[in-house]
Amino acid sequence: MDKNMLAGLEGLPEEDKARMSSMIDHLQLRDRCFNDCVDNFTRKALQKQEETCVMRCAEKFLKHSMRVGLRFAELNSQAATQD
Amino acid sequence: MAANTTPAGIDKEQAFGMAETEMEYRVELFNRLGQTCFNKCVDKRYKESELNMGENSCIDRCASKYWQVNSMIGQMLSAGGRPPM
Repeated sequence: MDKNMLAGLEGLPEEDKARMSSMIDHLQLRDRCFNDCVDNFTRKALQKQEETCVMRCAEKFLKHSMRVGLRFAELNSQAATQD
Repeated sequence: MAANTTPAGIDKEQAFGMAETEMEYRVELFNRLGQTCFNKCVDKRYKESELNMGENSCIDRCASKYWQVNSMIGQMLSAGGRPPM
C-alpha cells in the first residue's frame, strides 16, 4: 500500500507540484528549520552540520507538505461526495 | 434571461467574497494540518532527507484524524447545523 502512495507522489504533474508549493508557507519552513537546526551562536558563519541539517530539514518538510497535500485533496473530495 | 448559478438573494460580489474567505480558510487549514502532523510525526534530528515508512503512515493517519477533529469542531460551533465542508 505504501509503495503505491510513493508512486503517486513522484508522478505528480508539474502544475500540481507548483500549485502545492505555492500553498506551502515558506516562512514556516524557514523558521522551523532554523529553530530545529541552529543552536550555536559562537560564530557568525553557519557550521557544516548546521548547513546539512537545514538542507535535510527543508527537503523533508517539502516532501511532507506534498504528501499532506495529496491526503488533503483526498479528504476534501471525500467530504464533497458526502454532502 | 441569463441562467444564474448563485443562490437567490446573494449577488455576485457577495458570492465572490464568500469564495475568497473559503479559499483563505482552506489554505490556513492545509498549513495548520501540515504543521501539526510534522510536529507529531517527524523526527527532528533530520538524519536523512527522506521520509521513512513510519513517518509516511503517521502523516496519513494524522491528516485523517485532524480532518475529523476539524469537522467535529466545525459542526459543534455551527450549533448542529450543516457540516462546514
